[in-house]
Amino acid sequence: MKNPVDTARRRYVLELTAGMLAYAAILIASIHALNAGVPAPWRLAVALAPVVPVVAVFIAIARFFGAIDELQRKIHLEALAVAAGVTALLAVTYGFLEGVGFPKLTAFATYACIMLCWGLAAPFVARRYK
Amino acid sequence: MKSRLRVLRAERDWSQAELADRLGIARQTVVALEGEKYAPSLPLAFKIARLFNATVEDIFDPDPTP
Repeated sequence: MKNPVDTARRRYVLELTAGMLAYAAILIASIHALNAGVPAPWRLAVALAPVVPVVAVFIAIARFFGAIDELQRKIHLEALAVAAGVTALLAVTYGFLEGVGFPKLTAFATYACIMLCWGLAAPFVARRYK
Repeated sequence: MKSRLRVLRAERDWSQAELADRLGIARQTVVALEGEKYAPSLPLAFKIARLFNATVEDIFDPDPTP
């Protein structure tokens, strides 16, 4: 008998890996194309092309949340709440540091931070239910 | 929330993984339910009760008040 939560986890890891690989490939291709000089009407589309795999990753996350059981969903939602809080705190803190000469970070950093914090927080949140 | 899930599972000689498969939930969720670390939703509580041919009250009991 296949466990649906295990199946959902395996599918999520596969889809996430495929999404991140596609993101890296499209990002590199996009940068090369922009540097090579894409005609003006296409520049915006080429610059935004890496968003497509990011959307695919978000769809994979939504499917994962829909397929896991209620406790696993609760654990991941709590971990995401922690990640959002930590990211907000870090963003505000670093914003003040930028004011005194720290290097400017782009908005990309918040995406990386929230995903990293989610991954780190989930095992700690899960420990409360063991 | 007091739970008799571990006792009922042992009576049927099921592993935690087997019970998880029968309920369509993660094994970690079975661990949390048996360890009384998590109170199930009503739909899950009824699903568990149906699996064991019991009522929800037979399996889960609110903590006794002092």
